[in-house]
Amino acid sequence: MSDDMTIADYLAEGGVLTSPANVPPRYRAELLKLMAIFVDSELAGAAGFADKINDAPGIKERIAAARIVLEKTDHAERVLKVMGEFGVDEDRYANSHPWTARLERDAPAGSERGEHDMRLSVFNYPLESWADAVTMNLLMGLAVGVQMRDFLKVSYGPLAEAFRQIAPVEQRHAELAREGLEKMVEEGRAVEIEASLYYWWPRVEASFGSGTPEKMERLRAWGLRRADGESQRRAWEDQARDVLGELGLKAP
Amino acid sequence: MARFHELKVTQVEKTIRDAVVVTLEPSDPANFDFRPGQYLTFRRDFDGEELRRSYSICAGKDDGCLQVGIKRVDGGAFSTWANEDLKPGDTIQAMSPMGAFTTEFEAGQARHYLGFAGGSGITPVLSLIRTGLAREPESRFTLIYANRGVNTIMFREELEDLKNRFMGRLNVIHILETDAQDIELFTGRVDAEKCGQLFSHWVDVDTADMAFICGPEPMMLTIAAALKDHGMQEDQIRFELFASAQQGRLKKPVKSKQAANTDKLTAASVTLDGATRSFEMDKETTVLDAALANSLDAPYACKAGVCSTCRCRVIEGEVEMVANNALEDYEVEKGYILSCQSFPLTDKLVVDYDQ
Repeated sequence: MSDDMTIADYLAEGGVLTSPANVPPRYRAELLKLMAIFVDSELAGAAGFADKINDAPGIKERIAAARIVLEKTDHAERVLKVMGEFGVDEDRYANSHPWTARLERDAPAGSERGEHDMRLSVFNYPLESWADAVTMNLLMGLAVGVQMRDFLKVSYGPLAEAFRQIAPVEQRHAELAREGLEKMVEEGRAVEIEASLYYWWPRVEASFGSGTPEKMERLRAWGLRRADGESQRRAWEDQARDVLGELGLKAP
Repeated sequence: MARFHELKVTQVEKTIRDAVVVTLEPSDPANFDFRPGQYLTFRRDFDGEELRRSYSICAGKDDGCLQVGIKRVDGGAFSTWANEDLKPGDTIQAMSPMGAFTTEFEAGQARHYLGFAGGSGITPVLSLIRTGLAREPESRFTLIYANRGVNTIMFREELEDLKNRFMGRLNVIHILETDAQDIELFTGRVDAEKCGQLFSHWVDVDTADMAFICGPEPMMLTIAAALKDHGMQEDQIRFELFASAQQGRLKKPVKSKQAANTDKLTAASVTLDGATRSFEMDKETTVLDAALANSLDAPYACKAGVCSTCRCRVIEGEVEMVANNALEDYEVEKGYILSCQSFPLTDKLVVDYDQ
């Protein structure tokens, strides 16, 4: 077994890297960035949702909301642990940004909150009512589902393994949101939900990245991405329209 | 975060001509509670330069000891030292076990595991076999083990012992590149064709629950592709890329002979993704911000000095790094900086994100 193969060729053919010792520098940077985006989004998402536990209309909903907060924080920890293997100080990182900070509710879609962290832009907006929180959770939960298809195949083995633990739990969060909306539709609150759908739809849409084609090609060659932002956005849109249709809700 | 702990070497045993099994005793065992298949990262100073190398644990969970296998690599400072100079009584430093090349073994499970190892890639696979067979009395392992010749097979006797101890539950197929065997199929290299033949006559992939592959890059790709062709899913296959892929030795950065100057401008040159761009930058601006302002797509995430995404290497010149909670001393010594926290001190600065 003396074959010589460059790491770049190995990755381009679908190879998996398994420790910080065998990742090339630029791959390392893009991998850390990808992990930072995920961790920051989970922590910011959990921080925003924590407040909503007290708006939950019943015991089941309280439990569901508390569980989502707990599990999203747990997901952040799992990925942060992989970052830790690259030298990141996990404790310091977890407190390095104000995760509850938000923009004004009427800030335009796709706004960056500033240069403070790498959360997806959708987590820059404040949640309003319980119905609003559940609506956002469904739309974003479906988006995470689309993203996870890519993440599960990421070429850094320990991260792919972490995502394998995370994916089914995230999927359950989207299902909980769906069940919550179903209940509210039965209670005749469709108009209120649709107002929230109009608010969140463009904001979730904006969270599918729009990097340059060259960058996408590079990430693809390294096995860090597969689908591009636009095809992910379309997959999400199709799925969201189906789910909302089944609930008898009008998609924007 | 990466922290090193002390271990005492209690035994160094030759397995084949150029490989040793090192038994280690941690000063605090809690730091070394490993999962089978994981690896340890060691560090040692060689002529003033710190080297880090990762080696897989070969002991099983129930063997009551911590052991790693270290095969000597040509020109490899660490592995040569371990093979020639390391002796019982020495102390060595390592980080807590890491890696995801593992699974949960539970007594009630009846599974069929496949292991594929090339050369010293056997090390973590052996840990999995030892643990799995001991902890899951109903499970079995099939190991396909590729080596150049008979005399380069690491742990050959240990595998024979395991076959005897766990009668009928461990099947080992040796594939030898140069030495002829009774069955022609078992001679040569593990390529796509051989995988196809093995899977149609000797190894029942359909009944396999999980596969572990550890070896050089081409072998991992070939076997993974063949397993998928035979219906295995991505999440049933675990990989460990073995140590040959570790980065080579790094040279010291060239220090600029120019004295630090108080002028406000620095002539910067930044290499990223193979392209180099030169521009003038303000000494009050971080290297990262200057690169971004000059439309370089430099990597960053936290901008607070904790995540190390923006790491780059100073080739010439000097910077002041105002915060560093991510790079370790040995990286800083080699000239690595967090570009989000670094301000130029010299009139000329050359940095590289590709190193």
